[in-house]
Amino acid sequence: MRRRRDVPSDPFSGPVDLIAMVPVASRSTQRNHAKQRLRRGIVIVAATAEGTRTTAGLPSRAWRGPYVLPRALVAVRSLLILLVIWQCASLWTGNPLLLPSPVGVVDALVDLLRSGELFDQASVSIARLMISLVVAMVLAIPLGLLMGLLPLVGEIIDPVIELLRPISGIAWIPLALFTFGIGGTLPIFIMSYAAFFPLLFNTIAGVRSVDARLVSAARSMGLRRSAIVLHVVLPASLPSVIVGLRLAIASGWTAIVAAELIGADSGVGFAIEWYRELLMSAKVLAFIVVIGLIGYSANLTITAVHRRLTPWAVTAELR
Amino acid sequence: MSARHFRSMVLPVVLVVLWQAWAMTLPAKSAAPSPAHVVKEFGALVSSGALPSATVQSLGRVVLGFVLGAMLGITTGALMGAFRSVHRNLDPIIETFRPVAAIAILPMVILWCGTGLLAAVAIVGYAAFFPLVINTAHGVSHVDRRLVQAALTMGVKPSTILRTVLLPAALPSIFVGARLAMGIAWTAIIAAELAVGAKAGGPGGSGGLGEMMFVDYSYSVDLNGIVVCMIVVGIVSLLIDRGFRAAERRLLAWRL
Amino acid sequence: MPAEQPPKLRLCGIGKRFGGNVVAVQSMDLEVIAGEFLCIVGPSGCGKSTVLNMIAGLDQPSDGSIEKDGVLIKGPGADRGVMFQDYALFPWRTVEANIGFGLRYGPRARQISAAERHARVGRLVDTVGLRGSEHKYPHQLSGGMRQRCALARLLANEPDVLLMDEPLAALDAQTRTILQGELLRIWGEVRPVEERRTAIFITHGIDEAVFLADRVVVMSSQPGRVTAIIDIGLPRPRAESVRTDPEFGRLTEEIWSLIRDQAYRAIA
Repeated sequence: MRRRRDVPSDPFSGPVDLIAMVPVASRSTQRNHAKQRLRRGIVIVAATAEGTRTTAGLPSRAWRGPYVLPRALVAVRSLLILLVIWQCASLWTGNPLLLPSPVGVVDALVDLLRSGELFDQASVSIARLMISLVVAMVLAIPLGLLMGLLPLVGEIIDPVIELLRPISGIAWIPLALFTFGIGGTLPIFIMSYAAFFPLLFNTIAGVRSVDARLVSAARSMGLRRSAIVLHVVLPASLPSVIVGLRLAIASGWTAIVAAELIGADSGVGFAIEWYRELLMSAKVLAFIVVIGLIGYSANLTITAVHRRLTPWAVTAELR
Repeated sequence: MSARHFRSMVLPVVLVVLWQAWAMTLPAKSAAPSPAHVVKEFGALVSSGALPSATVQSLGRVVLGFVLGAMLGITTGALMGAFRSVHRNLDPIIETFRPVAAIAILPMVILWCGTGLLAAVAIVGYAAFFPLVINTAHGVSHVDRRLVQAALTMGVKPSTILRTVLLPAALPSIFVGARLAMGIAWTAIIAAELAVGAKAGGPGGSGGLGEMMFVDYSYSVDLNGIVVCMIVVGIVSLLIDRGFRAAERRLLAWRL
Repeated sequence: MPAEQPPKLRLCGIGKRFGGNVVAVQSMDLEVIAGEFLCIVGPSGCGKSTVLNMIAGLDQPSDGSIEKDGVLIKGPGADRGVMFQDYALFPWRTVEANIGFGLRYGPRARQISAAERHARVGRLVDTVGLRGSEHKYPHQLSGGMRQRCALARLLANEPDVLLMDEPLAALDAQTRTILQGELLRIWGEVRPVEERRTAIFITHGIDEAVFLADRVVVMSSQPGRVTAIIDIGLPRPRAESVRTDPEFGRLTEEIWSLIRDQAYRAIA
């Protein structure tokens, strides 16, 4: 029920925390006592079924730290504070066109849900995302495998890739507008392009990082080339490929908003622009929230897939 | 010319040649771009001053927005990395906004700030903020604790430690974040200029490379011009990346 | 050793638990005499480093208290300087800048002008023998040089108590032997007792402890506690020849016999 601040098991390991590293006794103890009393009240109200933890022996007086709320509660509290600030700001500007209140946005969301428009636009965009991912995977993964396994092929194709990469998917929009016109094809093209590169690079990196000894072991067991690729290289590069997929989804989802904003007649990106032109800010914000939610869920999904498929290699990302 | 150089140039050269050949098979009035025309257009745009000024305009916006995003991102990230409580409180908010790309908030930003410099800086700042705050927080929190302990045993105050130990020690991570942020910022400004150019009106709009690209498309159907802009976008992106990497190597020579 | 003056450090009933169940140190009492060079030896995991961290104020005891000059120790401070096993030098600063760090940002920073600071750092650079390398960065230095830099940085703040956690462990045997002698010289072995700083030195090497110390504290593990305190009566200054002194061998053997069983068990 009560959570004690984690006493570090070794003062030399673990992440930096300037507060924990400077012992409590050298800070204001009065303030801490007040905080403790306040927190005790809140924590008892929000008690979880964790059960009490027993600690062997009493801690010395100098090391009694303030109690800490569980992480989930802190998250909720932060978001609530944000909502309150938002509400106050919208009341202060008093102009629902300029800054709709959270309530207004929720209203708009409910409206959109009820009319089915939310579902329509979102499903169109998500469908495009899926198609683009499939296209990107079909192109990038085999190519990545090829480039990773055959260095010669890699050397020849790499310059073209390196030349195209800095030209982001967004820069292709005008050309794509000319070629495909406004519609569904343009977003798919742009998204596939954006998703292609992270997937390709991570596949190549994955193949290159396969321990050569694994391959040697397999060869000495008499496996044919194709079998080695199928049973050794692919599984070993899978973690990298999935990381690439994660990045691809993030890139693709960013690109889709831009693509639909400019060059489509349906989808969430189009919806944002449509409602902006109509000066219906609440609906604009509602769709922005939807965009954020979809992006967040997509990331969660792929992370879960990552953990299930490759439990032996879950890496921390820095992007 | 070594065999390796030759191999690396083969495919691009072949592709360009094929492209030119294909373009020459088209009727003379065709709007399709060809390498020869692209080069000609590049020369024209440079000598008219349109290309350099548009590039400078876009770059200027990116730099301003990047500085804004960097100041906010590094400060916030440093505080988050140094104090777990700050991290716990701010992280939910940051993770909520991270999936919302800069381009998605563009319509709202236009509503609030119009289509001028302020909007551009806001968008770029928003885009640059996230990689920096995340990488800075990660770098600061992963500083070798012993360095902090060493400073503590010299009687240095925690606030001073943040400035003189944590930030310098986290500089490698911060640089990675800055390099990513700059790349994302560049993409964001081009996207924003494109979108504004597409929606807010014709030539004489907000300026910049992105707007030039769109104007070339809608008002003169000058595909060669578009390709020139695309290439410039790519080159600038590359230079930014290389520039940051070079700066990393020089300034962080003490890394081993 | 005159025992009439009050102890510099007093550890009373010190205990330390980690994670609620792991007892690192239990009911330890120790008095450290001002100006002495005290070595702590013991098998791995006996809590030597834990005790040092607590004296330094980097960690808090679960039970008991530590006093310095009669005042309770509550946290780290410039009066107790620490030298770590892996030096903990700031890699982005030169040797000079590392040494001067405490002078520049520590509690007495305001009272020291830049010129004065520069002069002090210069003197220390000479004392530890790093003249010529003061503009180099840690990654350009050898292990021995890094250790000297760490020592200089420790001394720059002029702490009352020097705490050293296996500082010479990462060096090769020859460098280690040389630095042992230099450490004693810098510590003030040739100065009268009253002018020496209190030093606490943790090591795995028994012969190192006997060579350096006035007293050796022998600890054992599970739980960490003091087994014995051995007086080293060898004359100062300690010449290299003292290592072949029969008394040296006797002391080494005595200490080793106290640790032996534990050490064997540790590697079993």
